[in-house]
Amino acid sequence: MGPLAWLYLFSILVSAGFLFCTVYFIIMFSDLESDYVNPIDLCSRLNPLVVPEHGAHAVMTTLFVLSGQWVAILLNAPLVAFNVNKILKKGHVYDPTEIFRTVERHKMEVYIKLAFYLVMFFWYLYSFIAVLVAEGG
Amino acid sequence: MASPAQQLPPGWAAQWDPNNQRYLFIETASGHSQWEVPGAPQGGQPVPDQPPASPAPGGPHNPRRRQYAAGQTQAYYGGETAVDPTYGTSTLVPPPTTGAPAPGPVAGGPQFFTPGLDNQQYGGAPVPAPGTGISGGGGAPGVPSYYGPGADQQQQVHQHDYINGPAYGQPQPPQPSFTPGGGSVDALTGQFGALGLAGQKAFQLYTTNLLTSPPEPRELLRPPPEIRLPPNSCVSPAATANADPSYQRSTLNAIPTTSSLLSKSKVPLALVITPYRSVKEGEEQVPLVTDTVIARCRRCRAYINPYVQFIDGGNRWRCCICNMSNEVPQLFDWDQARNQPGDRWARAELNHSVVEFVAPSEYMVRPPQPAAYVFLIDVSHTAVQSGMVATATRTLLENLERIPDEEDRTKVSIICYDTSLYFFSIAPGATDSTMLVVSDIEDVFLPKPSDLLVNLAEARSSLEGLLGRVHDMFQENSIIGNALGPALQAAFKLLSPIGGKIVALSSSLPTLGAGALKNREDPKILGTAKESGLLQAASPFYKTFAIDCSRAQISVDMFLFSAAYQDVASLACLPHYTSGQTYYYPAFNAARSEDAQKFAREFGEVLAMPIMLEAVMRVRASRGLRMSSFHGNFFVRSTDLLAMPAVPQDQSYAIEVQIEETITSPFVVFQTAVLHTTCYSERRIRVITLALPTTTNLSEVFASADQIALATLFANKAVERSLTHKLEDARDFTFQKLVELLVAYKNSMTSGGAGASAQLAISENMKMLPVLVLGLLKNVGIRQSAQIPPDIRAYSQALLTSLPSQLLIPYIYPTFYALHSMPAEAGTVGEHGVIMPPPLPSTSERLERHGLFLIEDGQTLFLWVGRDAVPQLVLDVFNLPSYEVLRGGKTTLPVLDNPFSQRVYAVIEKVREMRRGVYYPHLYVVKEDGEPPLRLWALSALIQDRADVLPSYQQFLQSLKEKVNGVGGY
Ligand SMILES: [Zn+2]
Repeated sequence: MGPLAWLYLFSILVSAGFLFCTVYFIIMFSDLESDYVNPIDLCSRLNPLVVPEHGAHAVMTTLFVLSGQWVAILLNAPLVAFNVNKILKKGHVYDPTEIFRTVERHKMEVYIKLAFYLVMFFWYLYSFIAVLVAEGG
Repeated sequence: MASPAQQLPPGWAAQWDPNNQRYLFIETASGHSQWEVPGAPQGGQPVPDQPPASPAPGGPHNPRRRQYAAGQTQAYYGGETAVDPTYGTSTLVPPPTTGAPAPGPVAGGPQFFTPGLDNQQYGGAPVPAPGTGISGGGGAPGVPSYYGPGADQQQQVHQHDYINGPAYGQPQPPQPSFTPGGGSVDALTGQFGALGLAGQKAFQLYTTNLLTSPPEPRELLRPPPEIRLPPNSCVSPAATANADPSYQRSTLNAIPTTSSLLSKSKVPLALVITPYRSVKEGEEQVPLVTDTVIARCRRCRAYINPYVQFIDGGNRWRCCICNMSNEVPQLFDWDQARNQPGDRWARAELNHSVVEFVAPSEYMVRPPQPAAYVFLIDVSHTAVQSGMVATATRTLLENLERIPDEEDRTKVSIICYDTSLYFFSIAPGATDSTMLVVSDIEDVFLPKPSDLLVNLAEARSSLEGLLGRVHDMFQENSIIGNALGPALQAAFKLLSPIGGKIVALSSSLPTLGAGALKNREDPKILGTAKESGLLQAASPFYKTFAIDCSRAQISVDMFLFSAAYQDVASLACLPHYTSGQTYYYPAFNAARSEDAQKFAREFGEVLAMPIMLEAVMRVRASRGLRMSSFHGNFFVRSTDLLAMPAVPQDQSYAIEVQIEETITSPFVVFQTAVLHTTCYSERRIRVITLALPTTTNLSEVFASADQIALATLFANKAVERSLTHKLEDARDFTFQKLVELLVAYKNSMTSGGAGASAQLAISENMKMLPVLVLGLLKNVGIRQSAQIPPDIRAYSQALLTSLPSQLLIPYIYPTFYALHSMPAEAGTVGEHGVIMPPPLPSTSERLERHGLFLIEDGQTLFLWVGRDAVPQLVLDVFNLPSYEVLRGGKTTLPVLDNPFSQRVYAVIEKVREMRRGVYYPHLYVVKEDGEPPLRLWALSALIQDRADVLPSYQQFLQSLKEKVNGVGGY
């Protein structure tokens, strides 16, 4: 297995992690709406995950840049830009005082991310196999 | 004052309005009211045969309405009362001969309700009207003793006869169906008049053309559209069975049954709640249920209220919110005080919409905590020099005995701070205090585990000694710097085991330790899109710390005094999320006696205020309605639970309501419950129940809109929007909401329909809404300007989101009086207190060069002196020889030995005390040719004028009209 195959394998694993993470966010938000969790706990549980998630995604994209995987870069660039913009505007931290007003937006965001990560997961899988086949050939 | 009752045409009633010191004339058939003495029936509508000048519906504004006897009402109101649900009261009173709807003017008898007159004069007075066989109902209103469960069945039957009796026609369906539009409104008004005698009156819609009817300030004092519940919806005859608008009001007094009808009307649906409004002398106290029998619905947990239905022989009750059938608790009919069977119908919770229950231990997480106060006093150089320390400690000293402490449990601690923290320890039994200095402000700790938070009663003398010394101790303090954050953390450590209130006084920007802030004021970004950033918290500390406080049941009040930038926006976050309040005295200088007096007065009131502790508030509503968003000072702890560590009096909250599914019931109920601990350590629940009819009719939706509640909601929404978006967005949003409303009204309620129209139509009851919106758009908190310091803006926003309607409305639409030409009786003491001059429209067109005017917004008073004011006037009012020697600025008005001076003084003092709340407005003398900033400030309060880029009322209407016609043309 060459470095490219390793990269895609890594991406598959990271994407799987993202998927779990996103599902956890969704569960937490619906818990909030049905009063199973209070906004303070919700924010203190979700906030520590936000920056690592964004960071992992940025690292993954950087690896694609280093290995010149243009399609993967193009696919991931919008999300990186979105994340960077959010962090610059300090909008990445969930604010317990505002959460009930913003929860709909957060949920929407998380659903879109879920779809994105799911698609990406299969695309990495496909690319991984394609790379393996190419190497084998 | 001569009673105008005799001059009234038939079908009209006159009602004394104590707020406004004049009679309000009410057309009894329609509920239409006006200030002018009616010469002839308005609009030439046929007036149905009506009982004559009757005690008019004690508008919910009228705090004394219960002073006239129920029997009296009945006698004069005749048939009308029986079907008028506001008088739900009388439906249970055995009726007079139902066939005599118009007893005719009664000669000799007191025809006219005068609220100032002594109660006794009416209470229990023989009923003078012929044919009104009132038995036992002549006493003070309250619960007629004859209406007991099981007893007097006949009377109950009788009552039904009364309502459905042939004399009143068949009960009409709640909403007479008619298609609004095309001039049909006018045609139908007559019919409505006739329907007035039927089962339930429909709201009558009066359309006004805004372009031809200028705003009339007295309209603002009018009660909101009457709540007309279907007959038999209430088990109580008491007038108090529905919430007074000062406690809870809705933007719509008839709730649309579907969300599509609501969105068609474009009127936002929301509640404005002031659950803990102060009760002035002479007003009715909130009744207390002490027997801890609290009947609640099993399913929705609503509290029993006057709108439930008793079924199954009175053994069960049907919840008015979720329809669940519940058992009546065993002890519900037992008088525990006397240990004998009690009268269920006399229970306070079945007769009063605002009621308090003493809560049993199930309602406690822990035993009720004593009230605890920690005072953080800034003693840095700036604070001492401004005289703040001296004034604050003196006020505290003078008001120690006013701090609520009935049970001798209240605890107090005083912490001074500059760049270090100074604790004062008072050992039990000691008569002196020891100062402990903590200089490590990075990691705050308490220097002693005990004796810092001391019992007020026990340590009283040491505290007095300490407060007398604080100023001297720090008099020479030259330290500049402010460790407010660490001081707050220390107070938190002291209070977190029991909860309580932190009162922080600060004279400068916090510069050290946690919560340190930087001066981010930048004149270049004022008036730009970035300005709203300055209105948000600069440091996350003020949010995280606020949440910690909320969790620990600690509330924070901020008293801010700086002359320089202090970042009010960040500091105000603490009161905002901990249900406290921010008080701001920019450039405070105690050397000016007015400054010292204002602060001392307001601080004293805050100290004496009986606060609610450890409170949570929840609003329940009938099925189909959901509380969707919340505005005000609290922390939203779950989807519908508001955490309020300490509830101050007279703070208002706005809650937007969504219609989630079609409502099928004829009326809906909104119930606000505040579980709290009183400052006397008793766990209680305050319950406020508001019942509103539902409607399927768009014209009723418009006719029932409450412009005061709408303006209050708009103020809250505008501030929220300015923080989440931009100030400009907030203004556009508010303007757009008004345009949408006008478009909806025009398209569905006027003959013009969707086409362009020369009119700008709105219903009579919303006539003042455009001018209120204009006032809001011109308010310091919202208006477009590059000159407003961010601190002033932030404070104004804090006021806009917390003031109750009674204070908010003058704050956005200041009141304007002409004093030089006020009527002879104005300023003298009438039977209802000082008589106020009539308010003028808020425009400088009314200013005269020789005049003396008063402009007030509840926070500031401007006494405007025209440049040609005659020397006699200046001499009479200011004791100065001429206008030239008069100086503008903050003033204390002298009381002189001449009637005019005394009247002016009386009017000013009345303005200062007539509203609820702790505010004691400054008085500024403004000379017509005086210093421009002060002049412009005063003139900016006249919001109907054009000012700089801000439109005049006429221009505002024109731009509204253009928008309305433009949008409608599509
Ligand atoms: Zn229920």
